[in-house]
Amino acid sequence: MIAAAADSFEVEKAKLCRKIAELQAALNAKDQKLRELQTRADNYGAEDEVQFAPRDKHEALSNDDIARYSRQLILTDFGVSGQLKLKNSAVLIVGMGGLGCPAAQYLASAGCGNLGLVDYDQVERSNLHRQTLHTVSRCGMSKAESARIALLELNPHCRIICHSHLLNSFNAMHIIRAYDVVLDCSDNVATRYLLNDACSMLQRPLVSGSALKLDGQLTVYCYGEHGPCYRCIYPVPPPPEAVTNCGDGGVLGAVTGTIGAMQALEAIKVIVGFGDVLAGRMLIFDGNSCQFRNIKIRGKRPNCHLCSAQPLITGLIDYELFCGMNANDKDNALQLLGPEQRIKVLDYHNLVAQTVPHLLLDVRAPAEFEICQLPDATNVPLAQILDDSYIQRFAEQLKNKQYPIFVVCRRGNDSQIAVQHMKARFPDHSIRDLEDGLHGWTKLVDQNFPIY
Amino acid sequence: MNMEGSSLLVNINVLFFAKSRELAKTSRAEFTVESVIKAGNLLNQLIDSFNLNTISNNLIIAHNENYIENLDTEIHLHKGDEIAVIPPISGG
Repeated sequence: MIAAAADSFEVEKAKLCRKIAELQAALNAKDQKLRELQTRADNYGAEDEVQFAPRDKHEALSNDDIARYSRQLILTDFGVSGQLKLKNSAVLIVGMGGLGCPAAQYLASAGCGNLGLVDYDQVERSNLHRQTLHTVSRCGMSKAESARIALLELNPHCRIICHSHLLNSFNAMHIIRAYDVVLDCSDNVATRYLLNDACSMLQRPLVSGSALKLDGQLTVYCYGEHGPCYRCIYPVPPPPEAVTNCGDGGVLGAVTGTIGAMQALEAIKVIVGFGDVLAGRMLIFDGNSCQFRNIKIRGKRPNCHLCSAQPLITGLIDYELFCGMNANDKDNALQLLGPEQRIKVLDYHNLVAQTVPHLLLDVRAPAEFEICQLPDATNVPLAQILDDSYIQRFAEQLKNKQYPIFVVCRRGNDSQIAVQHMKARFPDHSIRDLEDGLHGWTKLVDQNFPIY
Repeated sequence: MNMEGSSLLVNINVLFFAKSRELAKTSRAEFTVESVIKAGNLLNQLIDSFNLNTISNNLIIAHNENYIENLDTEIHLHKGDEIAVIPPISGG
């Protein structure tokens, strides 16, 4: 009895905690909206003014600077002149995520005088394992604002300008022009081409970092006379189906942290002018074997559409169209199946309640299946559907065309791909997917089913 | 396999990164190939043998950590040489 009561207290407590966290996030989001409206109403176009206000030109270090930066001031290659260059510099960081957070942290704490932070998105709980400047209490707040709060606590002498909107072909040149160096900490292909083109046209060095799973890449584009641009190396974007985002592929925070910290290092070297900048070379980090490889890449491509002597691209283009992908890392809902090939999660729930015999195939990867699964589900990763090895495994169930087969995944995209593939082989079988997948299940059937 | 003249076969190591590792289902493989070969021919053989079709236009190929700039050049491979296959990563 006592144990049961204690259990129900725990459940109640957990519920309340979750509710409070949700309300806090909603409150932060509203606060954010209010701040934006207020700024817009009070001084329309203030961002431009702040941005283009003449930067203070510092000729000497203050006593506070000397105390604060003493450990790097005594570096021979860096010294007082390096510190002053950093203090007078302006760096734009695009993306305040897994790469942007550590990069911004090292640049602000090293004494970079002016930092611009670009991110249109808000802080979510699933960001916190790698986006080290954000906190639980700032969920729902704009990422740029949240990072600004953290950075000013680290170094109040840093001037930080937030650009809390999506960088696009209309605003990119205007924003980037005000900065000396740009860090590509973005999470999508379209933004990478946009940044490359704008930086090449404006002759701004672009410190490009990227990470996924346990892999990282780092190089500096548009640097010096012979340094290549992104298009010299990758003239055409990859097909959308070959691009994996962090939400689907996963990523470890220590990997983004490694690359982001090195982006700050390269930016400091570019600004101060010491060492060998990582241009014309690409650093490949394999976190799994902890190996760094330095690949010598090409110089400028003589027929590059952008940075050669006869460019074909002389102004920014529509990058979402060029890449066939949105300028974010969110998944789009696929529409591959007609309504007769899909079942709503509530209807499936009813079938289960009536104990209708059926087969439920969960097509997620085993690691995801391990996180959470529906009681009747059998794990058959999508690859086993697409290579038809499922046929032998479920030969018994497939004998009967009427036997209901359902397919589920996280959001209801891969399940559609699976049903489409199975239907091509078994057109008259009863094979349907669960609309909105497990996310739909949590939303409409069981609020305690975990979401990831 | 297309034998170019009388060139010998050698065993090289192919390293796969990021998406190519997923498609090839391995991070490293031994590969037997003509010791003197056009870079483009080597690339095509790798694409066919390791299921890299979807990213065939988006690869850096490096021979002993040096980018292969021109697919028309002839490269000379020695036993144990390293060919790295590097597609772009866009996450962050």
